[in-house]
Amino acid sequence: MSNDATGATGATGSTDQGATTAAGAAGGATVVDGITIDRVLVSILQKRLKSITEEMSIAMTRTTRSPILCEAKDFVTGLYDAEGNMLEQTENLPILAFSLAPVCKYIIDYYGDDVHPGDVIFHNDVFSMGNQNNDVAVYKPIFHGDTLVAWAAVKGHQADIGGNVQGGYNPLATEVWQETLRIPPVKVYDKGVLRRDVWEFIFANIRLDIVEEDMRAEIGSCVVGERGVLRIIERYGLEVFEAHKKFLFDSTERMMRQEIRSIPNGVYTGEADAFFDGQTPGSKSTIRVKVTVDDGHITFDYTGTDGQTPGFVNGTYASSASATILTFLQMVNPDIPHNQGMVRPITITIPEGTLLNAAYPAATTYGNHLCPNNADAIMRALGPVIPERVTAEWGELLCSLTTGKDPRKSGEAFVDINFMGMKGGSGGMYGTDGYDHIGMIDASGGVLDQDYEMFEQQTPHLLLKHELWEDSAGAGRWRGGVGVEMEYKVGGMVNLVTFGDGDVEASRGAQGGKEGTLNIIKLTLPDGTEHIPTTKDLVPNVEAGTLYFQQAGGGGGWGDPHERPAEKVLRDVRNGLVSEQKARDDYGVVINTSTWRVDEVETAKLRGSAS
Amino acid sequence: MFKIGIDVGGTFTDFLLTRDDGTSSIYKVLSTPKDPSIATIQGIEEMAADAGLSTADFLKQVTTIVHGTTVTTNATLTYRGAKTGLLTTRGVRDALEMRRGIREEQYNNHYENARPVVERYLRLPVDERLDYAGAEIEPLSEDSVATAIAEFQRENVEAVAICFMNSFANPAHEHRAAELVRAAMPDAFLSVSADVAPAIRFYDRVSTAALNAYIGPVLTRYITSLIARLDSFAFEGILLIMASNGGVIAPQSAMDRPAMTLLSGPAGGPVAGLAFSQGQGYQDCITCDMGGTSFDVALIKDGEPLITTEGEINRLRISLPMLNVVTIGAGGGSIGWIDEVGLLRMGPQSAGADPGPACYGRGGQEPTCSDADLVLGYLDPDFFAGGRLKLDPTAAARAIQERVAKPMGLSMEEAAGGMYEVINVSMAAAVREIAVNSGYDPRDFPLVTAGGAGPNHACMIALALSIPVILVPRESSIFCAAGMLRSDLRHDFVRTYPVRVNLIDHERYGRLFREMREAGRGLLLSEGITEDRITYQPSLELRYLRQYHEVNVPAAWDEVMSGDLSGVVSRFHTAHDTLYGYSLEDKGTPVELINMRLVAIGDTEKPSLTAEPYVGTDPSAARKGTRRVYLPNEKRFADVDVYDGMELRFGHRLEGPAIIEQVNTTTFVTPEFSVVVDQLGTYTIYLRERKEEVLGRVLGEHAATAGGVER
Repeated sequence: MSNDATGATGATGSTDQGATTAAGAAGGATVVDGITIDRVLVSILQKRLKSITEEMSIAMTRTTRSPILCEAKDFVTGLYDAEGNMLEQTENLPILAFSLAPVCKYIIDYYGDDVHPGDVIFHNDVFSMGNQNNDVAVYKPIFHGDTLVAWAAVKGHQADIGGNVQGGYNPLATEVWQETLRIPPVKVYDKGVLRRDVWEFIFANIRLDIVEEDMRAEIGSCVVGERGVLRIIERYGLEVFEAHKKFLFDSTERMMRQEIRSIPNGVYTGEADAFFDGQTPGSKSTIRVKVTVDDGHITFDYTGTDGQTPGFVNGTYASSASATILTFLQMVNPDIPHNQGMVRPITITIPEGTLLNAAYPAATTYGNHLCPNNADAIMRALGPVIPERVTAEWGELLCSLTTGKDPRKSGEAFVDINFMGMKGGSGGMYGTDGYDHIGMIDASGGVLDQDYEMFEQQTPHLLLKHELWEDSAGAGRWRGGVGVEMEYKVGGMVNLVTFGDGDVEASRGAQGGKEGTLNIIKLTLPDGTEHIPTTKDLVPNVEAGTLYFQQAGGGGGWGDPHERPAEKVLRDVRNGLVSEQKARDDYGVVINTSTWRVDEVETAKLRGSAS
Repeated sequence: MFKIGIDVGGTFTDFLLTRDDGTSSIYKVLSTPKDPSIATIQGIEEMAADAGLSTADFLKQVTTIVHGTTVTTNATLTYRGAKTGLLTTRGVRDALEMRRGIREEQYNNHYENARPVVERYLRLPVDERLDYAGAEIEPLSEDSVATAIAEFQRENVEAVAICFMNSFANPAHEHRAAELVRAAMPDAFLSVSADVAPAIRFYDRVSTAALNAYIGPVLTRYITSLIARLDSFAFEGILLIMASNGGVIAPQSAMDRPAMTLLSGPAGGPVAGLAFSQGQGYQDCITCDMGGTSFDVALIKDGEPLITTEGEINRLRISLPMLNVVTIGAGGGSIGWIDEVGLLRMGPQSAGADPGPACYGRGGQEPTCSDADLVLGYLDPDFFAGGRLKLDPTAAARAIQERVAKPMGLSMEEAAGGMYEVINVSMAAAVREIAVNSGYDPRDFPLVTAGGAGPNHACMIALALSIPVILVPRESSIFCAAGMLRSDLRHDFVRTYPVRVNLIDHERYGRLFREMREAGRGLLLSEGITEDRITYQPSLELRYLRQYHEVNVPAAWDEVMSGDLSGVVSRFHTAHDTLYGYSLEDKGTPVELINMRLVAIGDTEKPSLTAEPYVGTDPSAARKGTRRVYLPNEKRFADVDVYDGMELRFGHRLEGPAIIEQVNTTTFVTPEFSVVVDQLGTYTIYLRERKEEVLGRVLGEHAATAGGVER
């Protein structure tokens, strides 16, 4: 698979440059394709498109049944133009988001003229620009009369999509067929007519019946998007819409280039290790990125990254490029519109056969979760260049899921992804502490915890603890976000799956900030023996009464902890987020815990001597 | 005899005074944020003076005062609530702060978490545990409660919230802990989750209980002070407080459950909107209220405002039923600015009342929505607030020229037109959001428009969404105050009972419903309502097995108690299909009960709305002249007729473009619309294609003879 197929690269970057310059001049009328641009209409269109993708997202939340979708919102919704360029997206989980446009382009190439009103297309295949097997997309072409004008698409993490293991995480897999049912583009509706044979073929290969309902919900959400786009085109006319769209792409591109120009030109390198490939204990793979900033254009080149692993710890091009984009977006103005213009000045090169772009037919389900490592590599490259715009490192992901039968409900099957246990803290940043219990950078706070009481209704488990973890955050002038500790008692025999990292290296601090803490999952069996699963593990037949304990690490701190105002340290100590000892050792602040005041004299001594 | 509705807003406190003969008067005084009861009394004194009476004599003739207040809202927004402690099950004390781990702005690393209303060192653990069904796993350790109480006392905590795991299924532990706290801290405000909001979902409950405690002492102080002031005039009528659920409640009920007042301010709007649209036979409407800083939208369906149990204030969850009001930062004071892409934006920053828009001439430099409205001719510089505030068009034009027109390379008028249009799109999106989120098409609803700035923008909002009918009531500028006088007493109850419908234990189920009914009856009787004016509205929250979101299905008391729920289940299937596009009735998927709800309603006596006599269609007597006004869809200025709104009468018809002026508000009718005045004096603005239907509705028997003024 050629990397050029992705719309996320800068391949088309320079083609619209002429229009950009003309449009950029203040004053005077701007004309695009013979249409005079109404600047106000550009603002209106951008808002409308955004609100349509939000409506699509609401439809998904309200109608889906898998908690991964309706509670955790592990899905994205988007609109694309007739060529597959991104118009707008609502990115609850950004790691899924930036593969939608490349797949749209793939589908357009694949079907050519054979796209008709009423078609509905499914897709999950990672070897045709999909990002993860379990993230299954629906594409619906939008026609105005006979003209294809746009596409609506939804992609969600489905609870099961076939393969060897329910839920899809199979550390033992060595090739794609052991992981999943592959769905290259396939029409499930042809000109508005359900292809019953195709539909039944797909769902005959999937364990859980809720997946069928949740795919119906994805189709429904695309219909919501279709109606919204047609309302706009009926109101303003297709030509006006097209011209203003181009102008919007161009102005967005201009904004992105401006953001990139604020980074000094140069070549910067960073690397980060991903530990344990799920097969060989002690193994590690290194991600190497070379970032080139050149007058408003930025290139991320992963040449030199270690080769792909034998197991499922492998990225796909789409998941890795998504990770790159979402990491970089955190370093620029967060208000930039998410359309094709935004990604034009970005080029991403990932050689095939590497950890981040495994060659067919590799197993790749873990690929999304290489995002934190990828992000670390990028932050290590750019942190020294634009220190005030780059966070210290985030707590790595370590997650688990349990499947089993609920003895309270005559053996009804349940699946639970432990969202609440996995979410550590983000890295501190110039001006702002890290965000506590936010979780992996690939979601950045878009994925929600289960509600505790719903958790106890839906699973036989008993929650014992879910609290912020004292001293987990890296110290800094702006400290890291605090991680969590979580403990529950297993009810009924379950199979436990783990996936993640962060048990070898803690998230690093930046600019003199200290590092965060390690992840761990530990089981204490009813007979008292302890078992620590690896970070990519399948633990079958975990007995009822087992205690599940997890710590999700805090983020790294930013800047010298001695520069943190003592009052803020006092507040953290008072709130039990930082211990008295750590306040003294890391921050050089002495707290009088009977008066809850800073001991100014002792603090001055410590801080004076340390600096 | 009089009734008074009082709505304390950020800038103005609005009053509607109604008399037995159906006439009414509007008053507005500047709000006094430090002690809002001062402005309240000032307004009452003005009314007394106008009636030629002493305040005490005037108040003797006032039977009812209904009061909407923002004191609890503001205390929450500004973190000026009471020092609050939380007692909770050991192991989960941080749920309140973590908010299920959400960061609303994913790419913004400077976006900080919402500050909890209880600091972590005051969230203290108690040893106790109930399982998912409410059975005791670990008894309540009274020692651990005592330890926490000692800490609260040492810290001079003023309010205590109690929320234990699974207390929705069994409140015994919470109630025992509450007894211990009450005995040790008799002056502290106490908020017990199982009493405040006993429904499943721990984060929702702990957040609601904590907010309830946090604002408890604030509301108690305010109401006590207001009652004392009224008492000093020997007021003997009834004082009622507007609640977030769109009903009114006695002061004591409000002080018992202060979280019910968090949305007290805008809660009067939907009821008012309903009253005016019911005048034309509508049972559905969307209300929108555009003031100085915010734009509030609500939706009424089948005569009932939409209620949500997933409300938020300042990113903090409140699970008590409250009107589903979408609020965005768009108002007369919203500031226009250019973002980094070069796109024009409006708000959410507002120039507020001080310095206010540039045209107020009080030093404001930022161009606002009101400045654009003035430059475009919608506002009359000499007739703003009835001429009490002269507007400065030069200052408005200068601000727009400097901050918007120049950077965008536009003329000043083009820039102003753009500002007008951009803010209209934001407001239209809010209207669309509330309709679409609840599964409705906004085009099926008349848009009832209120607030000082609203009627100026209503036509453009309606056009953006293809809404064919707009209603602008004459009282639109004090809309919420009007709604308060029309609200019933209303108390909500909930019990969680998760069970498949076909496996319901009818003994338990019946007991829970009777328990809620008795509680409602007791409260209403204590508020002075007689038995014959009480009604009960039960409902069941149902979902398909393993779904996560429920659909609330209303039912009659006799039906829910009959033991046969097949009718309710059948309506659930239908509702699911309507809302989400499919039903699983044919597949035989089991239906699950989650929550049982009951609303107890006490029917209040409402002021009558007086129908005016029909005076024919010709409005020329109300015509004041013309002025140059910008037509947004044609992007040009034109001379437009200006009418005195107070002179428009039942039957009058006019064609857009037109301006209708009143003392506190201006209505701009774009060329696409026509207007007919209904029997309550409401300007009914409609797209021409709806002419026959609207005239039939508004004019009734007179419609046949009213066809003569076509243009």
